[in-house]
Amino acid sequence: METMRVKPGPQELQAQVMAAGQCTACGMCAGLCPYIRFAGDRVRIVYSCGLEDGNCYRSCPRTPHDLQDLDVQVFGAPREDHLLGTHRDIYYARAARAVRPAAAQYGGVTTALINFAFEQGLIDGALLVGGSLEQPLPRLATTPAGVNNCAGSKYLAVPSLANMLTARRTGLTRPAVVGRPCQVTAVRRLQGLENNHQAAPGPAPNLVIGLFCFWALEAAFSAFLTSRTRSRVTKMDITPAEVIVDTTGGPLSLSLDEVRPFIKPACHTCFDPTAELADVAVGSTEAIPGWNTLVVRSARGEELVQEARTARVLEIKPYGAERLPLLREAAWRKKKRVLEALAGRPEPYLRLPVDYQLAIAGEEVMRDEYYARSS
Amino acid sequence: MNTMRVVLDAPGQVALLTGNEAVARGALEAGVNYAAAYPGSPTAEVLECIAAGAEMLGVYVEWSVNEKVAMEGAAAASFAGLRSLTVMKCDGLNVALDFLTSLSMAGTRGGMVIIVGDDPSAHSSAKEEDSRYLGRVAHIPVWEPADSREAKEMVKAAFDLSEDIRQPVMIRMVTRVCHASTNAVLGEFPRREVNACLGPEDKFITWIEGHREQEDKLRRAAHRAEKSPFNTYAGPESPETLVIAAGPGSYYAEEAVAQLGLQTSVGVLKLGTTWPLPEKLLRRYLRPALKVIFVEEVEPFIEDNVMALAAQHLDEIGRTSFYGKKSGHVAGINGVGLGELTPSQIMAALANVCGPDPAHERPAPPGWPELAGRDLAFCPGCPHRASFWAIRAALELDGRQGIVLGDIGCYTLGKGRTGYYLLQTMHAMGSGVGIASGLGQLWRFGFSQPAVAVVGDSTFYHAVVPALINARYNQANFVCIILDNQTTAMTGHQPHPGTGIDPNGNPLTAIPLEAVVSGLDIPVTTVDPYQVDEAIQAVYQAVQGPGVKVIIMRRACALIAAKTSAAVRVYVDQSRCRGDACGCARFCSRVFACPANIWDKAQGKARIDEAICNRCGVCASLCPVGAIVVEQYQEKVG
Ligand SMILES: Cc1cc2nc3c(=O)[nH]c(=O)nc-3n(C[C@H](O)[C@H](O)[C@H](O)COP(=O)(O)OP(=O)(O)OC[C@H]3O[C@@H](n4cnc5c(N)ncnc54)[C@H](O)[C@@H]3O)c2cc1C
Ligand code: SF4
Ligand code: SF4
Repeated sequence: METMRVKPGPQELQAQVMAAGQCTACGMCAGLCPYIRFAGDRVRIVYSCGLEDGNCYRSCPRTPHDLQDLDVQVFGAPREDHLLGTHRDIYYARAARAVRPAAAQYGGVTTALINFAFEQGLIDGALLVGGSLEQPLPRLATTPAGVNNCAGSKYLAVPSLANMLTARRTGLTRPAVVGRPCQVTAVRRLQGLENNHQAAPGPAPNLVIGLFCFWALEAAFSAFLTSRTRSRVTKMDITPAEVIVDTTGGPLSLSLDEVRPFIKPACHTCFDPTAELADVAVGSTEAIPGWNTLVVRSARGEELVQEARTARVLEIKPYGAERLPLLREAAWRKKKRVLEALAGRPEPYLRLPVDYQLAIAGEEVMRDEYYARSS
Repeated sequence: MNTMRVVLDAPGQVALLTGNEAVARGALEAGVNYAAAYPGSPTAEVLECIAAGAEMLGVYVEWSVNEKVAMEGAAAASFAGLRSLTVMKCDGLNVALDFLTSLSMAGTRGGMVIIVGDDPSAHSSAKEEDSRYLGRVAHIPVWEPADSREAKEMVKAAFDLSEDIRQPVMIRMVTRVCHASTNAVLGEFPRREVNACLGPEDKFITWIEGHREQEDKLRRAAHRAEKSPFNTYAGPESPETLVIAAGPGSYYAEEAVAQLGLQTSVGVLKLGTTWPLPEKLLRRYLRPALKVIFVEEVEPFIEDNVMALAAQHLDEIGRTSFYGKKSGHVAGINGVGLGELTPSQIMAALANVCGPDPAHERPAPPGWPELAGRDLAFCPGCPHRASFWAIRAALELDGRQGIVLGDIGCYTLGKGRTGYYLLQTMHAMGSGVGIASGLGQLWRFGFSQPAVAVVGDSTFYHAVVPALINARYNQANFVCIILDNQTTAMTGHQPHPGTGIDPNGNPLTAIPLEAVVSGLDIPVTTVDPYQVDEAIQAVYQAVQGPGVKVIIMRRACALIAAKTSAAVRVYVDQSRCRGDACGCARFCSRVFACPANIWDKAQGKARIDEAICNRCGVCASLCPVGAIVVEQYQEKVG
């Protein structure tokens, strides 16, 4: 398909992504540029830089890019698993008790791995999300205390990659990122620019831990939440049935129907629920409280997980055979919905080679085959 | 400003005084007991000079919250039999006018003098209002000195006149007189016992009968003006052409007459008592004159009144041609009736009216060299720049075309490039909040843009509180941002009720902004504008949702901070600067544009002009790559 040539610059970013409701609030563009700022989950160009051409456009997860190119860039080959993306292993995991923060969302694997990478000297900072659940904020952690302070999932979209500016200003050279899948994609696209010897915007992150994410919420959800409870929110969890909100005044259950209107519109066109381009991806198990699902994807991820295991930072056990089909089905449903949604668009951001498309479209076959194999 | 000279107890000595210093000296020599003012250019220094002598001479000196309250306090002292002075700029007289028009109906007791600073060409003002009209509206005498020497004497005489006619007397000072220095002979400081009291018969009540008294008092003032030493005439007994001049223009006129060699035909009548006019004196010189030229700043005040006088006495005065603003012959620097007068323009006007006579032609005086046009900008390190950047960013983020309303203060510059062209309205002190209060009601007509009013800290106390009460009570939607630089910066750092000091630096108990706003039941947040990202978040949050909210952006004026700031140096590490490249595109020098952020053309990199840098470090916090370094000096040991 011939695509229209556009100058990849801030005007197009503004028109095709921000104004089109396609911004995921990953924060990448704001992390590259002083003219792009954010408030809550809004990322906007606040002053014209005057350039026609920009890295903001080239590294945004919602400007046109080819997924297979990214697979090749990150893993050296196209994916074989079209539902979960390239991976080496998938486990149940949790942080050892001694290193598990009290506020960990599930098993604290994310926090433990970041802290371990710090200890190993692999990274010198981490772009995380801290603040309260009602008002989460990007945080740049450079100490274990800083990392532990960010434990726990905030379900709002937070443009935490904006802190790359701060990381660069303060002279960090090997920061890690913990992020939603869109944020992982943004980081990989930035790394792609560096490989292409584009005007280098500074060191790109060194370690990327992705979080499973089927959607994130708009900042307006905070107001809704405070309208439902006057107590401070201490934890939130999304289960297939409901959203459970723990507060200092006791738990509160919200139905998915109540929460759904606050889903960020861009999330409805997100093809990646399991951070397919991360070094490792972490999610819930939806089965065993206090444990995570851990998907090991890259060589770097594998090495880190092995070392963490050896150092007794992580406890690991085999992934439940009965869970895998459920996870794959969930991923497939999401991808199929998104492909249908994108099919109607004149120029979708996501470019998929034919085999990538067929793998999702020919789902029924695949699913049956898969069940046949795994049972 | 040299307060030493003002309080020098050396009668007979000649001292070089500015007009402002001379007014203060005159007031002290007149035995002023009570002086109150709100700072305004060009007369801001008067009160500070009086304050310097306050302790020695037992004067009460007050920076009042606004001009109306200042005038009311001064009136109180007058009612109690004391001599009082109040000082303001023309805009301030507008604020006090409601009281003044009442005051003059009820009359005063102890001498009361009102000093009003007019700013022709609006050098440090928003307008060049001519306050003489307001004096006339209020039925009080208006005098105009031409220089400092005269200003000092006028103040003393004004106290006497005020006590004689039991009315306040207004002295109109223009910028050139306020700021230029001339020699004056110092007089004695009176040592007199005063005892303030109001007897049972001392009543000051505004009512309609007062109007008759106002007119009687004005007649008495006019009568005294006939003999006033401040009205002088120089020229032939029967001038063919009469120049009627007031203020510094009278010197320009005398000079022009001499330069053009017109001494035998042209006379200059210099008026010091501008209102009420010395009618007999005027008629005496109008009678012989065939041509009359008016030289005054800014409006044709004397011109109109003298022409009316001439019309009334047509039979006596006969046919006379009048040249001035009405005829278009006398222009200010910006046009007819616009801006200050200049010597060369008066020369041109005189040459023009007195006919082209080759013998009178003089080479044109050399003009000023053309200066490179320069934007007015916030000072290096000014917290307002950071505040405006944060406001702009927040409103862009919000994306609903937020409107920023301003008023008078340093932050007025926010209308230009230095404030990212943010201000969309700018009127009187505090007006932005009143306007926001109105915009905040327009949602019922489909108005959906956020409104943000910026005010200074001093302005807040002066004029914002009633507007906020109005807004809060009537449930308007907008955000008021108080740019709290902890001083009255524009006029020279006078204290205000938030600062906790009096005009002499003695402690008073401050009234914190937060306490006032919370007392109005309005939510208030305080941020440091140097923490730009936090400031952006605060503004963004505040413009979401309904109601009136206040944000205090608190950071001391850079000029004060520079005096006390730590030993740091700010410079650009050019090896890290991204310059023109994507991810910067000269953000510091091109966009943030602190005057100290400059572009090093040769290197294609940014640089800091360290000579003017105030070392605030805000640009360092905004540079996308950390190329701007804030370096602590090493403490020297030993
Ligand atoms: C918006 C969102 C949606 C998610 N949806 C799912 C889902 O549908 N299914 C599923 O299995 N898992 C989902 N997760 C992941 C899950 O909630 C946990 O974050 C993950 O399992 C890691 O758990 P942990 O115990 O290792 O976390 P912890 O050790 O507690 O560490 C949590 C880490 O997440 C980071 N973080 C918190 N909030 C955010 C945020 N908003 N954006 C970026 N980083 C953040 C913190 O910086 C911290 O490093 C979601 C997470 C987010 C943020
Ligand atoms: S998706 Fe990320 S990079 Fe793209 S516009 Fe939004 S914040 Fe910027
Ligand atoms: S903001 Fe920083 S990178 Fe940009 S021109 Fe200034 S010093 Fe250089």
